[in-house]
Amino acid sequence: MTRWMLPTFLAVGAIATLVLIVGPALYAVSLSFYHMTSLTSEPVFVGLAKYADVLSRAEFWNALVNGIVYAGVSIVLQVVLGIGFALILHQPFRGRALVRGLAFLPYLLPTVIAVLTFKWMVDGSLGIVTILMDDLGLPPIYWFETESAAMWSVILISVWLWTPFVTTTFLAALQTVPSQLYEAARVDGAGPVRRFFHVTLPVLRPILTVIILLRGVWMFNKFDVIWLTTGGGPIGATEHLPILSYRTAFALFDIGAGAAIATISFLFLSLAVFLYFRAFPMEDDA
Amino acid sequence: MTDITKTGLVTRRRVLQGASALGLGLAMTGVAAPALRAQGGRPIRFLNCETGRDTLAFFDRIKAEYEAQTGVEVVVDSVPLGEAFTKITNGIRSGTPYDIANVGFVGHVLLLADEGHIVPLNELTDPYEWGNNILFPVDGKVYWYPFDYNLSVIYYRKDLYEKHGLTVPDTWDGFVANCEATVDGRQKGCLFPIGSNGATNWMSFAFMWAEGVELFDDAWNVVLDNETMKPKAAAYLDFMERLYPTMPPGAIQADYATVLSNIVGGTIAHGPYAGRVLEAAERDNPAVAEQLDIMPYMDQSGQRKAVSHGYDGWVVLNTDNTGRAMDFMRWLTTDRLIDFLHTAPVHFQPTRLDIYDNDQWRSNPLISKYSGQIETMRRMVSDDSMLVTSIDTQGPHPDTRPGKVFEAFVMPEMLQDKLIRGLSSAEAVDRAAARMRELVG
Repeated sequence: MTRWMLPTFLAVGAIATLVLIVGPALYAVSLSFYHMTSLTSEPVFVGLAKYADVLSRAEFWNALVNGIVYAGVSIVLQVVLGIGFALILHQPFRGRALVRGLAFLPYLLPTVIAVLTFKWMVDGSLGIVTILMDDLGLPPIYWFETESAAMWSVILISVWLWTPFVTTTFLAALQTVPSQLYEAARVDGAGPVRRFFHVTLPVLRPILTVIILLRGVWMFNKFDVIWLTTGGGPIGATEHLPILSYRTAFALFDIGAGAAIATISFLFLSLAVFLYFRAFPMEDDA
Repeated sequence: MTDITKTGLVTRRRVLQGASALGLGLAMTGVAAPALRAQGGRPIRFLNCETGRDTLAFFDRIKAEYEAQTGVEVVVDSVPLGEAFTKITNGIRSGTPYDIANVGFVGHVLLLADEGHIVPLNELTDPYEWGNNILFPVDGKVYWYPFDYNLSVIYYRKDLYEKHGLTVPDTWDGFVANCEATVDGRQKGCLFPIGSNGATNWMSFAFMWAEGVELFDDAWNVVLDNETMKPKAAAYLDFMERLYPTMPPGAIQADYATVLSNIVGGTIAHGPYAGRVLEAAERDNPAVAEQLDIMPYMDQSGQRKAVSHGYDGWVVLNTDNTGRAMDFMRWLTTDRLIDFLHTAPVHFQPTRLDIYDNDQWRSNPLISKYSGQIETMRRMVSDDSMLVTSIDTQGPHPDTRPGKVFEAFVMPEMLQDKLIRGLSSAEAVDRAAARMRELVG
């Protein structure tokens, strides 16, 4: 390696980050200080007026709460189920390699395919689930017809799609836990549950911290599942900040307000990540 | 043989020979293709939003044809209609605007006109007689060339009507009774979308327009909740509450495709849509196609009929290529319009009244086969007693304000407040009116 290679690689990375990420992000933030009635109208500087406007809207707070509920419940379910599946797939059994491969499958599916397939399966007239339930003499399920049902439906799809990420990551980490620790615990009389809570979890705490952090950030910003299923409805029941920001900017053409919502969302998430690291520091103090 | 190791590859003689050959080549090109040379400049950029297979094939064909005739290249980008406006404005903002674009929402036409991004097309539209409520002129200037109506009408099943001894209803009570009578296991009475989407905006409110509900007065004040409109709007919500149990589960999710597949699949006895239903049924379920007929939306007392307004058109952008774009538009809208309409023969309902009597247009097999329905559709846009309106075309004149109501899904949420949240009709109307005032000031 020549003395110029390292700075060159760093420079390329830094320039790409500046041009493709930092630049557009700063531009988006700058838009929040202007009033524009379309993408092509003349921008008028309005300072923090868009922020004041957005924060005074009930729909903003509704979207924030929806986002927290959606991300929070999804993460809890993904982590609990993902760890459960990982523990099962960690056990030796016939065909384990195949099952491990299949378990990862939902994560490989493009979201749009998974969502549209789900929608067609539960379609009220033609969906296979609807028809099967009818054949079994069961009443139809109104998957999206009430506010709570719609939220649970989008959570269900999200959990199905992204639990495999938790499973796979946790399963990989499980294989790094020294077997001597389990043997020692077994000698001390610890059963499977105590071994999990007193050996597995403490050893895998750093990886779990990262999994929860990543899933949290991704779920809070997740746009496609909700957009493709409910579009934020009914009556705003599944509308979270990314959807609200998009609708405000690109449907109502209040570009400044849309950018303000996105900026507040970014600040909120940054604060949440900061607090998360304070509560669960990555460094091992011991 | 030249010894290149001594003289090198690049010598003065070789450079002069190369330059001469290049110059001669350019000159020959000019002699061979004067039209091409004369046109120079950049291609015409055309944004198309009609993404049916036949329509895409049509554009592939005519752009080659136009280039062969004139030497002018036409580049056609095709995107779904929902993405069109963002593409148009992004193009303008990035300095690479489209020259011609497909628009399906009059609010977008007005926004572009207000900002000077599109040019009047009166020279193309003035020579013809047009159907009702379609040109949306601003101070006498027409900023788009509407190529089709997509009126939302109610499709019903003639065989089910015959089986149950039903007649085409004139009143809301009659319509509810027919929907109830046709529920039979998986066969449902009707499907009218109620979700926050374009399908609901387009398909579910013409009952309310027939009843005489208006959203704005002549001064753009919101009047939905005044003493005249509120009882009518509330009655409409009560009517929808009676229809709702005759629908399949999932009306909240229903979009254009859902409604289309339910009508064509034969799972509902009544459903709203435009002409595409007949094309799809003819292709996918001919037995159902034979049994479909159309009716307009009706009011409570049988006094008035309405259809929900839908339309598409082309705008020409104000670019350095506008002259060429206008030439292309002139050619497209005179020489090739019928061919274009034939790519979706029933769905692309003509906006120009002369086309209904055009032999070439009428010669299409589907247009001949469904001439009865097409005649009904023609009357819907030429008979002044038929109300042709929609959320985005409400108000005293074309304006962006009803567009905001449309895009914010205020009316679908009014329906959801009633049908899903269980608010009283009066409360739902009040909330919708308040939201409209928030949006339009």
